[in-house]
Amino acid sequence: MARVKTQKQPMSKEKRKALLRRSIPIYLMALPGLIYLFINNYMPMPGIILAFKNYKAKDGIYGSAWAGLKNFKYLFSTQDAFIITRNTICYNLVFILVNTVFAIFIAIILSELTHKIKKVYQSVILLPYLLSAVIISYLVFAFLSAENGFINNTILGALGIDPISWYQEKQYWPFILVFVNLWKGIGYNCIIYLSTIIGFDRSYYEAAAIDGATKWQQIKSITIPLLKPTIIMLTLMAVGRIFYSDFGLFYQVPQNSGALLSVTNTIDTYVYRGLIELGDITMSAAAGVYQSLVGFVLVMTANFVVRKVDRESALF
Amino acid sequence: MKRRIMSLVLAGAMTCGLFVGCGSSGSSSSSAGDYDSPEEAAQAAIQERKESGEYPTVVIGYMNFAGSPAGLDRISEKLSEITEEKLGVDVELMIMDAASYSQNMNLMLASGEQVDLFNAVSVGYMPCVNKGYTLDLEEDDLLQTYGQGILDTFTETEIDGCRVGGTLYGLPVKKDDAAGKFGISIAAQYLDGIGFDYESMYEDGEEIIYTDFDTIDDIFAQLHEKYPDKTVFYMDVSSVVSQCLPIDIPSDNFGVLLNPTESLVIEDLFSSDQYMELCQRMYKWNQAGYISPDAITETSATTVQVKAGSLMAYKTATKPGILQQETNLCGQPVVIFQTGPDFKGSNAYNTMPWCINQNTEDPVAAMQVLNLLYTDPEASTILCWGEEGVEWQETSDGHITYADGVDAENSEYFNNVNWEMPNQFIAKIWEGNDLDIWERMQEFNDSATTSKAMGFTFDNSAVSAEYTALTNVYTEYQAQLELGFIDPEKGIPELVERLNEAGLQEYMAAKQEALDEWAKENGVN
Amino acid sequence: MKQEKRFQIFGHIVMIIVTLCAIIPLVLLVISSFTDNDVLVRNGYSFTPEKWSLEAYKYIFTSSDSVVHAYMISVLLTLLGTTCGLTITTLLGYALSKQFLPGKNLITFLVFFTMLFNGGLVPTYINYTNTFGLKNTFLALLVPGLMMNAFNVLLMKSYFVTGVPNEILEAAYIDGATEFQTFIRIALPLAKPIVATIGLFIGIAYWNDWMNGYIYLTKRTDLYSIQNLLNRMIQNIQFLTQNSGNIANASQGLASIPSVAVRMAMAVVGVLPIIIVYPFIQNNFVKGITLGGVKG
Repeated sequence: MARVKTQKQPMSKEKRKALLRRSIPIYLMALPGLIYLFINNYMPMPGIILAFKNYKAKDGIYGSAWAGLKNFKYLFSTQDAFIITRNTICYNLVFILVNTVFAIFIAIILSELTHKIKKVYQSVILLPYLLSAVIISYLVFAFLSAENGFINNTILGALGIDPISWYQEKQYWPFILVFVNLWKGIGYNCIIYLSTIIGFDRSYYEAAAIDGATKWQQIKSITIPLLKPTIIMLTLMAVGRIFYSDFGLFYQVPQNSGALLSVTNTIDTYVYRGLIELGDITMSAAAGVYQSLVGFVLVMTANFVVRKVDRESALF
Repeated sequence: MKRRIMSLVLAGAMTCGLFVGCGSSGSSSSSAGDYDSPEEAAQAAIQERKESGEYPTVVIGYMNFAGSPAGLDRISEKLSEITEEKLGVDVELMIMDAASYSQNMNLMLASGEQVDLFNAVSVGYMPCVNKGYTLDLEEDDLLQTYGQGILDTFTETEIDGCRVGGTLYGLPVKKDDAAGKFGISIAAQYLDGIGFDYESMYEDGEEIIYTDFDTIDDIFAQLHEKYPDKTVFYMDVSSVVSQCLPIDIPSDNFGVLLNPTESLVIEDLFSSDQYMELCQRMYKWNQAGYISPDAITETSATTVQVKAGSLMAYKTATKPGILQQETNLCGQPVVIFQTGPDFKGSNAYNTMPWCINQNTEDPVAAMQVLNLLYTDPEASTILCWGEEGVEWQETSDGHITYADGVDAENSEYFNNVNWEMPNQFIAKIWEGNDLDIWERMQEFNDSATTSKAMGFTFDNSAVSAEYTALTNVYTEYQAQLELGFIDPEKGIPELVERLNEAGLQEYMAAKQEALDEWAKENGVN
Repeated sequence: MKQEKRFQIFGHIVMIIVTLCAIIPLVLLVISSFTDNDVLVRNGYSFTPEKWSLEAYKYIFTSSDSVVHAYMISVLLTLLGTTCGLTITTLLGYALSKQFLPGKNLITFLVFFTMLFNGGLVPTYINYTNTFGLKNTFLALLVPGLMMNAFNVLLMKSYFVTGVPNEILEAAYIDGATEFQTFIRIALPLAKPIVATIGLFIGIAYWNDWMNGYIYLTKRTDLYSIQNLLNRMIQNIQFLTQNSGNIANASQGLASIPSVAVRMAMAVVGVLPIIIVYPFIQNNFVKGITLGGVKG
């Protein structure tokens, strides 16, 4: 790892030597992690070219004939292309918006509460974040099952409303998915904002209170503007993943129900179904490349724009 | 900077080298041409291996429902004892559960790991052929030289049923090739409860009652009235079309043979009267309250629901021995009705063929092992049922049953997938089945109505984008239409329109073209 | 002050609702695992079942030893994985926080790059199977994918930059401590919250993971973790219900799958350790996200 020794600014030989000597233990500390990244991430990376190959087992990944962009065709050529892209992007946009708004709302309330019990609130709302998608799909099914579900059996029954076949009625699912996503993520998102709010200088609020500002006014003109950098940073990171979807949320939670497909199909589930039906590994490789590229471009662009507007808030 | 790039490139190159290094040279024994007869060549290959003292290992992969069983290594050894003695080869079994089989097998085949023989069920025969995972079994007369027993086991038609574009990449298994369409099992206690006289309906010696839908409708209505809080009828969505209609479905539902004994014209299933009729029947039953509102997301087996007392009747694909099978699964007597014919479709032989990996080091050894599994009763019994005295024991009347203290739960090798084994017909017969079950099965297979397109497989790789799109549209409607949750008068036209938008006509045209070509090659008209 | 009081009441009401929303589904899950299976099938999910039953748990813990065994694997895997992962993540994060380190930016970019691009499933599989021979070993659960990821490294790095004052570290160095001593004695204690947070992240990733077992364990199913068992069950159910048309005998396979109550009980068993361990680290967890998350 000591190969990186050139530095731009001119340095005296002794100084460089001293710096190097000091750096060696640091490099050594970095080494295990870098070896892991090399093994786990960089060694398989040339395999990306699989997406451009007409894969034949006999010839191996590198020996197979080139296929050009043929493997990408199915992502764009059918009418599903529009639906899956729309779903993936729209859900992600709504998730970003809803999660941010609710997380800030809860974070502000939590930060203003004085009773000790707020610690309990905080811990409990973080719990869903720790559950796996499989278990969440169980939970959702316990509520929504048409015959046995808690909602149909108990709530709608008590209200005298006819039971709803949740897994067949697609109009409810955008809301259900947004809700489940919010439910799962709110604890985590809220804590990020909460921690930022706690770090704010209290003197702003004291001054505002003396001036007779109401709580609402304080929140509007102090808390939210101060939160801006954090909001931008988190949104930027989310934008980079806008072409990815939480597979468990869109596949397991709707129980893979066909009737819901037009509102639950995303790029990830589409590729997965294609892989299952056709067993075609090159297609999923192509989708991966597509998602990575778009994500890369989006992050770079968004970061560039943010940098122009507010240099401090940019990711890098 | 240059050096950094260099090191990255080097890393890449390193990995490249690792990827490619799986050629298929191998130790092929002397060519078959040197010998006068196949037997001689086969014996020579065995002799050569035995003399060298190094037994090659043949890895055999297949799926079951529970994953790798505890007794795997012991059974492999048991089987190896036979193969060592008879062939000079060791075998190693590799069993994966149904859900992961496709993915794992794909990864293994793609990465060049050792698996010499595998069953193509769930992975898909066509995708395997397309990606070049499978060996041409007649290359250098491999099958003819080392697989004589296999050729004796099957008729030419059966073998030809696995050809793709004239080339043989897989071998069929001995199983129920036909199926009785639209069979319905009803738990006997409920029929007794409504006082329905089914005993008199049995024809001599038959285990199935052949009847019509009026009778079924009548029974269902009475059942529903008498037991309003139990579900009357259930069937899995995926089996509605394939197991209820006497049509031939080459590879998928998009373009089928509606009149498979007469014509080779690919038609649209969804615009057909047969489909409309089927959906209307289900709609009627659903509206009448016979079908559970949770039918679409139901994940318990029908037989388990019957056992638990929440379900009274369910669809069954019938075959000889079905009555005993369903009675065992339901834990109570059932009565089986059948409204459709016994039918054998184009996929009768190629849904789960055994293939040899193109990557195998020793194709001859692989073929000889396969040959043994098709012809040696002892080996087949071990593969199907495990080890004598540990998993099973013989009963006084010639059946076999669990060994003492063993049951389905604690058995170390009880796969329940004998229909996937090369030849279960020569294995010992488990208690509860008639000793002549396989003769009857053979008769059943032979006498069933057979599609003219029997043996045709559609390679959809050229229209895979359309296929994905069509599947997506179909999935959206399938369960709701076929389990009767929406009115077919409204739903079907909508489905047809959207399928056409997704390219159904192009897809069907491609299928027709392939079928015509196949028919020409095989002299079918 | 009246306004303040009104706000407090409003705040508590909102929080109680939100908290209940978070916890109620879990309560329902736990209750249904204690419900008699026949009642569950007949009456559906309910907070007040007609008949309670321990059958599901009895089934899990007595019918075969695989659940208990898988549990041990999960615990061992999580402990080992978290220890190794945390060690290399912390070390790398710390190294990257050193402003003076030559080549720091390049290394940071190499780390960040892995967040966007990866080789995909098949090349990764080939790498671990053919090159390293991890298939069907315990290492296959431990090594691929989970041990360290770029996000955690960057989180760790930014905590060291913002949460551990450089002056203190420099002072220690000038006083003659080696870099390694400085790290162990000064930086690490100060970084306790982020270490706990990332430890929890890694731990949960290991505990919830089923992918590695699914892909790399084909023969050694005795190495299955509890999530593998859970996932295999669900996947098999899906496979069987979807393929019963193609594979006529699928119904026989379905018949051997555990009942609904048992599935719920397995889910409870799967979540339990998280619920037990979580309260002990949650304090640090909040602090860790707070300081590390401000600037990714």
